[in-house]
Amino acid sequence: MAASFLFSQFVGGLTTAMFLFLIASGLSLVFGVMRIVNFAHGTFYMLGAYLAWEAMRWFSPSAEAFWPAVLIAALGIAALGAVVERLLFRHLYGKEELYQLLFTYALVLILGDAAKFIWGTGQLSVARPPVLAASIHVLGADVPLYNLFIMLLGPAIALGGWLMLSRSGPGRMARAAAYDGEMLDALGADVGGIFTGMFVISSFLAGLSGALVTPIVSIVPGMDVEIIVQAFIVVVIGGLGSFWGTFWGSVIYGQVLSFGILIFPGFSLFSVFALMAAVLIVRPWGLFGRPLR
Amino acid sequence: MVRVRHLLALAGTFVALASVPAFADSTIKIGFPIPLSGPAALYGVPILKGAEMAVADLNAKGGVLGRKLELLSRDSKASADEAVRLARELIIKDNVDFLVGTLTSAEAPAVSTIAKENKIVFIAPSAKTSSLTAPANLHPYVFRFASNTTTEGQAGAIIMSKWKDVKRIATIAPDYAYGRDAVAAFVAEIKKLRPDVQIVDQQWPKLGEPDFTAFITAQMSKQPDAVFCDEYGGDFVTFAKQATPLGYFKAIHNRLADGGEVGALEVTQPLGDTFPFGIWSNAYDPVIWPNHEPPGHKAWVEKMQTALHSKYGSGWAVQGYSAILALAAGIEKAHSTNSDKVSKALVGLTFDTPAGKRSFNANHDADTGEFWGEMVKEAAYPFAIIKDPTYYNPKPEMN
Amino acid sequence: MRYPRARIWRRLPWTLIVFLMALWVPALGSRYDTFLGTQIAIDALFVVSLNLLLGTTGLVSFGHAAYFGIGAYACGVLMKTYGAPFILAFPAAGLAAAFFALIFGYFCVRLSQLYFAMLTLAFAQIVWAVCFKWNAVTGGDEGLPNIPYPNMDWLSSLPGLGDLSTADEFYLLTIALVALSLAALQHINRSPFGRMLTTIRDNPERAAFIGVNVRAYELAAFAVAGGFAGFAGALYGIFNRGAFADYVFWSKSAEVLIMAILGGINYFWGPPVGAFALVWLNQEITSYTQYWPFVLGVVLLVLLFAFPGGIVGGLVAGYERLRRWRWRHA
Repeated sequence: MAASFLFSQFVGGLTTAMFLFLIASGLSLVFGVMRIVNFAHGTFYMLGAYLAWEAMRWFSPSAEAFWPAVLIAALGIAALGAVVERLLFRHLYGKEELYQLLFTYALVLILGDAAKFIWGTGQLSVARPPVLAASIHVLGADVPLYNLFIMLLGPAIALGGWLMLSRSGPGRMARAAAYDGEMLDALGADVGGIFTGMFVISSFLAGLSGALVTPIVSIVPGMDVEIIVQAFIVVVIGGLGSFWGTFWGSVIYGQVLSFGILIFPGFSLFSVFALMAAVLIVRPWGLFGRPLR
Repeated sequence: MVRVRHLLALAGTFVALASVPAFADSTIKIGFPIPLSGPAALYGVPILKGAEMAVADLNAKGGVLGRKLELLSRDSKASADEAVRLARELIIKDNVDFLVGTLTSAEAPAVSTIAKENKIVFIAPSAKTSSLTAPANLHPYVFRFASNTTTEGQAGAIIMSKWKDVKRIATIAPDYAYGRDAVAAFVAEIKKLRPDVQIVDQQWPKLGEPDFTAFITAQMSKQPDAVFCDEYGGDFVTFAKQATPLGYFKAIHNRLADGGEVGALEVTQPLGDTFPFGIWSNAYDPVIWPNHEPPGHKAWVEKMQTALHSKYGSGWAVQGYSAILALAAGIEKAHSTNSDKVSKALVGLTFDTPAGKRSFNANHDADTGEFWGEMVKEAAYPFAIIKDPTYYNPKPEMN
Repeated sequence: MRYPRARIWRRLPWTLIVFLMALWVPALGSRYDTFLGTQIAIDALFVVSLNLLLGTTGLVSFGHAAYFGIGAYACGVLMKTYGAPFILAFPAAGLAAAFFALIFGYFCVRLSQLYFAMLTLAFAQIVWAVCFKWNAVTGGDEGLPNIPYPNMDWLSSLPGLGDLSTADEFYLLTIALVALSLAALQHINRSPFGRMLTTIRDNPERAAFIGVNVRAYELAAFAVAGGFAGFAGALYGIFNRGAFADYVFWSKSAEVLIMAILGGINYFWGPPVGAFALVWLNQEITSYTQYWPFVLGVVLLVLLFAFPGGIVGGLVAGYERLRRWRWRHA
C-alpha cells in the first residue's frame, strides 16, 4: 500500500515536471541560450492552447482531429514568433535585461487582451485524443496514457534540444551567436537569421506545449502569467544556458511539490518560490549554471 | 529641466482639474466593480451582464422613481486592493449613489469598509464569506445577495448525510478563506448529522492551481468513500480533467458534492461529455429546470439568452440581475436614493427574482439558498444538467 | 553659458517647490484631486525608493513590493490591533521593512544580475504567502481592513487649516512625510555614499579593485530602499483603508518597475513623473474601456521604442536638442 502510494506520488510529480518542462524548454532556449528575457513566452503558450481549441472546433466533432490541431497550433505560433521577432525583437538584442522584460511584458498585455477580445473570458476545454484516452495500471496506480506520453515527450525534447545545441552545426552557430554575435557576423555568418531561427523554434515549442496541455487544463485568460513565472523559475533553478538544467530543475520541482504537499498542506502557494530561494542561496548560479558574463 | 518639470506639474494639475465631472443628477449611478479579466472573469462577466440586463429592463419601464439607472462597471481583477481603490474612485470621482458588485470573498469585505465609511449602500451579489455580515463587521450599508459559506457547507453535509454507505469522507478545496470556511462548515454539520463518519483526508490546492495531480493521488491513497469538494470555475474544469483519467471519480463512485456552483452553465459547457456525471453540485440558476421551475423563470431565461447572445444562457447572470432588482425595490420603497433611507427600506424587504422571491433578513443576508441536484446527462443537451434542482437553505438566519 | 545655469538648476530646492505647489491641491481642486494626489505622492515615494536600487546602484529588484507590504501591515497592525499612535507606528513600519530588507538582501546581494532579481522575487512571494495565510495577524487573504486614520487634531489647530476633511488632512500629512522622505533620498543620492553606489553601478569590478566592499554597499542600499518603501506602504495602508496581501504580490513589484522606467531611471524626478503618468493614465482609461492592459502595453511599447530614457529622459533629450539647435542658429 505505502509503496504504491509513493509510486503514484512520484509519477504525479513527474507528470507535473514534464508538463512544466514542455513550456520551460522553449524558454530555456530563448532565455538560456539567447539571453532574451522573453516574458511573452507564456502568452505564446496560451495562444497555442487557444489556437488548438479553435482548430479542434473547425474539425469538430471529430476527436481524432487533436493531432492536426496541435500541429496547426504549434506552426501558427511559430509563424507568429517569426513575425514578432522580425518586427519587434530585433530591437532587443544587446539591450539591458530590464528593457527586454518590460518590452515583452508589454507584449503580454497586448496579446493577452487580444486573446480576451477574440475568445472571451469564458474557459474552454479540449478532450483527450481517443488513442490516448485510457489509463494503464502500474504498481497499484492508474497512470493515464496521455500523461505517459508527455512524460516520454519531455526527455525526448530535452535530448533533441541538447543534441541540436551541442552537436549540430546550426546549434553551435546559435551558441556562438549568443556569445559574441558581432564577431560571428564579422566572420560572415547570418546572425540575424540564426536568431530568428532560434526564436521560431522556441515559439514552436511554446505553441506545441500550449496545445498539448489543453486536454489537461482549462484554457482561461491569465494562464499565461501563471505559467511563465513557474517556467522562469525552473530555468533559473536549473541554471541559465543549460538545457539539461531546466530538465532536472523541472523534475526536482515536480517531486518537491508532490511530496511537499503531504508534509505541509499550504505548500503549493509558494512551493516553487521556496525551492528557487533554497537553490539560489546554496548554489548562486543554479544547479548546472555558470556565472553570468 | 527647470521649466519642463514645472510645466509637467502644471499640466498635470490642469488635466486633473479638468477631469472633475459635471454634476449629472438625473440618473441614479450604480458603481459596479467586478473582475472582468483573469480567471475570475468567468463569473464576473456574466454577473455584470445580468446587471446590465436588469438596468435595461428597469429603464425601459421608465427607470426608478422616474430616473434612469446608470451602471458604471470597472475591472477589479479579483484583487481586494484594486476593488477598494475602484470603489473609492467611483464614490469620489464619479459620485455614484450605490455600489453593487465584487466577486470574491476578499474583495467584498474590503469594499464593505469603504461603503461603511462613505455611507453608501453596497450589495454583494456573489461573495460567500460569512465574515461579510458577521456581527463584528455588519453595518447598515452592506447587503449580501449570495449564499454564504455556512449554508454551502451545511447543504453539502445534508446531502452527503443521506448516503448511508459512506463512512470515510475527504475534502478538497482551494486554500483561502472561502474554501476553508466552507469546509469547516461542512465538517461541523456532517459530524452532527452523522457522528459515525470519519474525515480521512483534507487537501488544499492553491487557488488557480494548474496541476492537481499530486493532490488527487494523495487523496486517493486515503481511500475515501465520498468527497466534499469546493473547487469552482476554471479550477474545477482543470481538476475534473485531471482527476477522471486518474480514476478518482470512479474510486469514489461519483460520490462527490461540490459547493462551488459547478452545476452552472459556465462550468458544464466547457466540460461537455467529460463532466463527471453523477456528482452532486449546485447553481444559483440551473437555467435548465426539469421540474418545479419557478413561474416567470422560463420567460426570463429566453430574454437572457437573447441579451447574452448565447444559446443556453448563463448560470450566473441571475445574481447580477437580482441584485439590481433588489436595489431598485429598496429605492422604490424608500422613495429616495439616500443610502440611509434605502438601507432601512431593504431590511426585511421581499423582492422578486427570476429564481423566486427573496428578502434581506435582519443580518442583511438575502435568504439565498442554493439549488442542488445530481449532475446527469440528458440527450437533449451537450452538457451536464442538474436533475431535479432542489432548493437547500439550511438555516436562513445564519450568518 | 551652460555652467551657471546648471548650477542654478541644481541649487533650487525642487522638493520644496513641488511640495509647496502640492499644498494647494485641496484648496483648488476637488475631492477627487486630493484622492489622486495622495495616491500619486505615496507611489512617488515607493518608486523613488526603488530607484535607489535601480537607477543609482544598478540593482534590479523584482520583489520591492515585499517591503511596501511589510510597511503597510506593520503600521496597520500596530495602529489597528494594538492601538499604537501613528507617530510610533510609522517609523516602526519603516524599520520593520528595512529589517527584512537587510535579511533578504544579505542573500540577494551575493548574486548578480538576473539571479539577484529572481531571488528578490522568490523572497517577495514567500512574504506574500505568509501574509496570505497568517490569518491571525494579517487577516489572511481577506486582509486587514479598517486601519484607523492617525490622530490629526494637531493639524486642525494650525492656522488656516481649521475645517478640512479627514481626507484632506491626511493628504497634507502624506505630502509632508513624502517630501521629507524624498529630500532624504535626494540627500543620500548626492552624498558620498550615493556616489559610491553609482560607481558600483557603472563598474562593479573597478569598484572592487579600488577596495570598495561592493556587497556591503549594495546591502546598505537594499535596506535603505526597503525602509523607505515601508514608509510608503504604511501611508498607503491608511490611505486605502486597509492592508491586503495584494500589496506584496509580484504584480505590484512589476507595477512600480514600470512606473520607474516610464518616468526615466536616470533622473531623480523621473520615477515620480512615471508614477504620476501611470496613475493618471490608469484612471482615465479605465473609465472608458475594459482593455486597459492593452492600452498600457501599447504605451509601454511606444515608450521603450521612442523614449528609452523614459518620459523625463525623452524631455531632457528633446530640450537638449532644442538648445543645441538654438545655439547653432543663434
